[in-house]
Amino acid sequence: MLGSKFQGGRPRPAGGGFTSEGESNHVGLLRLLSRIWDAITSFTRPPNAATVFRRADLYRQEGRFEEAAELAAHGLRLAPNNGVGHLLSAYLHLAFRQIGPAKGEFQAVLALDPYHRRALLGLAKIALEKRDVAACRSLLDKALQYYPDFPEARALQDMVSSWTMTPAVPGQHPVYAGPPIQVEKLKPPAGRREFVLAQADGTLVFSHQGDKDAVDLATYVTQVYRIASATLQRAGRGALRREIVQAVTETTYFRSNDRLIPALSFPEDVKVGVGLLETDKLWTNSLRELGVRA
Amino acid sequence: MSAEPAPPRPASARAREFRRIPAEMLKIDRVRGGLVVAADGLVITASLPRAIAAESLAALTATLGRELEVGADRLKRTTFRTALFSADDSTVFLGSSAVGFVVLLEDREINVGLVQWALRKALATLEGAWGPRAPPGILASGLCRLAEARP
Repeated sequence: MLGSKFQGGRPRPAGGGFTSEGESNHVGLLRLLSRIWDAITSFTRPPNAATVFRRADLYRQEGRFEEAAELAAHGLRLAPNNGVGHLLSAYLHLAFRQIGPAKGEFQAVLALDPYHRRALLGLAKIALEKRDVAACRSLLDKALQYYPDFPEARALQDMVSSWTMTPAVPGQHPVYAGPPIQVEKLKPPAGRREFVLAQADGTLVFSHQGDKDAVDLATYVTQVYRIASATLQRAGRGALRREIVQAVTETTYFRSNDRLIPALSFPEDVKVGVGLLETDKLWTNSLRELGVRA
Repeated sequence: MSAEPAPPRPASARAREFRRIPAEMLKIDRVRGGLVVAADGLVITASLPRAIAAESLAALTATLGRELEVGADRLKRTTFRTALFSADDSTVFLGSSAVGFVVLLEDREINVGLVQWALRKALATLEGAWGPRAPPGILASGLCRLAEARP
């Protein structure tokens, strides 16, 4: 067997099994021609699903979401049960803020691979948007169970695991049980739209609005505070102290420490300086009323 | 089965525009880093201090941006545009666009007006590269086909 090597289960002579130099050159030429032919026809041959998805992913990474979506759709028509295709499709739906279809696509990926970490992460993010923290935690745990070095999932898990309070039953909210508050001390200024005082665990302390709206607002304020705090921490910044959120027709000012979060909204034409000043006044009064140190 | 890794990308006008955003921002005094992230958490472009992992920060940023968007929707408020988050010694700015979110990391003694102007410019660049903002669903015809292609 000297001079031969084992290839594909069948012993062949060295040099590819050619008996003469002339024959070897002939076959080499044929191979070269075959490659050239393949290269030429690849321009006219329709690309397979894998190629289409690869190109779609490149477009997606460049922010060319519409073109990526076109290609992903095309690829899924070629290969309807392709996990990469469904994952891309889910990402693109998320990029377009289409949460329902994105969820369906992530689930399609999990149907093919129940421990696909990126599909689990995607569903965890959707659960968080829906304020289903328990489901979010469970999905992140599952993603990290097999892939402990998954930075995005780890960052989210670090954040949600630090949240002390989550309602046991969706729709139920914690009730403020602290010292009584003198309402007149927390009177918001004229011209404001909304004022809410929440605890860092999501409990509504005080509001000048109807109960339902106030609870929703307190939940929103707390959720923004928690995620923003985690973001600042991850960016190597200090503890969150102040937030200003500008929307099209109003601006909301927050103050915060690790216990209290007042939020005050003004119409957009109110100057930022005024908003900050009024929020600071309410912040000081809130701390005094509740006996909390800044 | 993965759509994650990023091989070298072919240049495109839009990609170049996106990459220019953090580079422009870093020219402002005391701006320490910038990030453009899609709503799904994909890092489109980043220029951050070495100690900060872009993927982790992007995941949280996209979550924060989405909470601001979804929260405004839930409370029947108008669309969120920009936000400022201030810590004891630094500030983070966040802006929303159809493409995703722009994040800027600053030191404390920052010229807020200048940064807000720069952020608005960056968002305009993003929107310009993307096209006018339209309600989700009609933005891309491809999405309709994407939905049709689902088995």
